[in-house]
Amino acid sequence: MIEVEALTKRYGSTTAVDGLTFTARPGTVTGFLGPNGAGKSTTMRMIVGLERPTSGTATVDGRRFADLRAPLHAVGVMLDARSVHPGRTAFRHLLAQARTHGIPRSRVDEVIALTGLERVAGRRAGTYSLGMGQRLGIAGALLGDPATLVLDEPVNGLDPDGVLWVRRLVRDLAAEGRTVFLSSHLMHELALCADRVVIIGAGRLLADAPVQEIVDRSARAGTVRVRTTDPDALARALLAAGADVTPQGPGVLHVRGASVDEVGAAAGRCGATVLELAAEGGSLEDAYLELTADAVRYRGRSAGAAASLAREGSAR
Amino acid sequence: MSATAALAPRATTRPATGRPTLRHVVAAEWTKLTSLRSTYAILVATVVVSGVLTHLSASASSGDPGFDPLRSLTDGLVLAQVGPLVLGVLVGTGEHGSGAFRATFTAVPRRVPVLVGQTVATAAFALLTAVLAVGAAVLGILPAAASRDITPDLASGGTPQVLAGMVASLVGTALLGLAIGALLRRPVPALVAAVVLLLVLPVALVLATELAADPTAAPAGGPVPVAEAVVNTVVTLLPAGAAGLLTAPPGSSGVEGAPDLGRAGAALVLTAWVLVPLAAAAVRLRTRDLG
Repeated sequence: MIEVEALTKRYGSTTAVDGLTFTARPGTVTGFLGPNGAGKSTTMRMIVGLERPTSGTATVDGRRFADLRAPLHAVGVMLDARSVHPGRTAFRHLLAQARTHGIPRSRVDEVIALTGLERVAGRRAGTYSLGMGQRLGIAGALLGDPATLVLDEPVNGLDPDGVLWVRRLVRDLAAEGRTVFLSSHLMHELALCADRVVIIGAGRLLADAPVQEIVDRSARAGTVRVRTTDPDALARALLAAGADVTPQGPGVLHVRGASVDEVGAAAGRCGATVLELAAEGGSLEDAYLELTADAVRYRGRSAGAAASLAREGSAR
Repeated sequence: MSATAALAPRATTRPATGRPTLRHVVAAEWTKLTSLRSTYAILVATVVVSGVLTHLSASASSGDPGFDPLRSLTDGLVLAQVGPLVLGVLVGTGEHGSGAFRATFTAVPRRVPVLVGQTVATAAFALLTAVLAVGAAVLGILPAAASRDITPDLASGGTPQVLAGMVASLVGTALLGLAIGALLRRPVPALVAAVVLLLVLPVALVLATELAADPTAAPAGGPVPVAEAVVNTVVTLLPAGAAGLLTAPPGSSGVEGAPDLGRAGAALVLTAWVLVPLAAAAVRLRTRDLG
């Protein structure tokens, strides 16, 4: 179990993490989301004791990381695939890590097999692709058979086979009662494997809730999209029935406050031919973009335009 | 690399719930040190440089009337010590230069034991290197000695002390490199600082006083000028000066104008050169963020 309480980190006048509080529970995959520079990596580094909080606490199983009796057995950590000396083979890297806790060589072979690195374990890590580096990082995290896992962008650079593998791996780890805390840029990926998401922006907590609850919060959740030959007539009919209507392009209306059936019936009454009619579901991506719209630290030309682009993209 | 078959990381051999004790951390650092090609390359280079340079030096002076091959034993040391120095710098900077520190310090979050482990592992490997390098130096003088029908007696005349001093100074140099590397963390600045301190500074200081001194004044036998005495004292207190005293035959006087530290004093000076930056590195490691 990871407990983060009022966690704050300042570098000079910059506040990277600002009063963050959340909990990652056993048996659960907790996703960690936020724009670049939101403080995700800083938070993770504080949890695993590489950085010291300016104030607040981050504990694993009730202890500060540095006070853990056997860190590798308590927490498996993968912060960056490039956490290996490039001149060392994967096997020797893992063996050195294992030796710090007296973990037997057989366990090293086990995690190598588990992560599919058997054929390359004797190669120097500097020759590895990003995906192989990720697998090595995950192997290191599993070495001590830990009750908690902290994984920063574990699917980054993996092939589709590897993405699928990580997704099932973290689900299985949580099913065994372990705490899994992972960050990702890939919202789609998190929606598939996380039970709960913690979303931060500019170092502050924006949301901490089950995935479904956050998806339902998205503005698009519960709306109906209709494309018709006569949008004006249909809009009048729907407004008269008490629904909210937003034109979304040639012939397309977004309707809030009416079901698909009601929109269809209204179209029939006013004689507008319906070309498309569908209930719109929210997505984690939409919810995320709405939540972080004000908190994006590194903005492109127009964050709003990007958000609506993404929305159109996912509506297609 | 299809790994989809293997899923749950259930440990068939449940890992023993060991802790990162100092013994474990030393073993881990030894594993790390001995898993890099550069470590062995340095060992070979050091031994070869020591043997070849000593051989060349001994052969060059073998025609002198009063030739004593044992006096050539330490002639390869100035360059041979670069090997252990680089070894130490690489160990000291290896974690931070590569990002490996993340894996290392999340496994040993108390951090300072890692530095202790690196010191022990480096000292052990440097000792092996030093013994082989000194052995190569001994072999290096044999052809020149044979050419003059001299059989060098290694067991008497202070030679054992010289050989031990050579080993000690090579090990000390490796630990000096480690300390500077661990303190500065980046390989290039650390290597530059170590080479300047060990090789450039003593030569530069001596050259500077010689240039500044009046060549007509102070003939041999007179009192040593103050400036020269100060510089010689400083040079003696540098790592290279201390190493020089360690490898000097017993009974040889120290540098002119500098206090005679003796063998024990020289060892202390060299130890201080290792411990002070090492302690600073430990403080930095202990109190600062890593990342």
